[in-house]
Amino acid sequence: MESKEIKKTGGGVWSWFDPRNRQPGTWAFILNRVTGLGLTLYLFLHLMVLGLLAQGPDAFNTFIKLASSPIVLFGELLVVAAGIIHGLNGIRIGLTTFGVGVSKQKQMFYVFFAIAIVLSLYFAVVMFRHSV
Amino acid sequence: MNLQNGQKPVEAVGSWLIKLFTGALVIIVLTVHFLVNHILAPNGLLSYTEVVKYYQNPIIPIMEAIFLIVVVSHSLLGLRGILLDLNPSRSLLRILDAVLVIVGVVAVVYGIWLLGAVVAQGLKV
Repeated sequence: MESKEIKKTGGGVWSWFDPRNRQPGTWAFILNRVTGLGLTLYLFLHLMVLGLLAQGPDAFNTFIKLASSPIVLFGELLVVAAGIIHGLNGIRIGLTTFGVGVSKQKQMFYVFFAIAIVLSLYFAVVMFRHSV
Repeated sequence: MNLQNGQKPVEAVGSWLIKLFTGALVIIVLTVHFLVNHILAPNGLLSYTEVVKYYQNPIIPIMEAIFLIVVVSHSLLGLRGILLDLNPSRSLLRILDAVLVIVGVVAVVYGIWLLGAVVAQGLKV
């Protein structure tokens, strides 16, 4: 289903962002890839930032102060939300790969997406509680 | 590498299964990493001294090393899957595979060196 739709819109990465005639499965596919790319970028940035630990207390503690700013916190919230969406969507893909819930995968996507929104809101409250 | 229609490479079953397996491991280890580093750790590890002190527990660097290997493998296999969507030629895919392997090995070696450096900082105190 997904690959046919991608081909219809011309193929390639840019077709992921074409919102026309999309089914829930395609949105799940797009979300999984976009969040995956974002999380991969974050992983390597995270590794580089943690490299400050090797430079001693001043470098790391200065960064921690900067990381408490609302803009960085918002970026971290996006990472958390992307991780939750990617993880739950991954569970759905894993289950359907082994034949579990194949006929209910649309409903599974809606339920997992709703859980992702609730969890993201929870983390937003927890993360911004101390900075406001 | 698998070939469909005799032309463009597609993701092999082995890569797909490794991605699925490492994905499941990432969910488990990330949950533990998140809970341990940001909820159970005193004050959420928000200063250099706390981080260095915390990493003196040998379980922590071992857990982080496992997490690093699993998450880097999963992310680079995922990136490869996306690159395959762009229909690279076989020769280009070979180059991309080599780049991904190098990036993965460098990231894991660097991460493990960093873990060792943090643990060593604690031993000096």
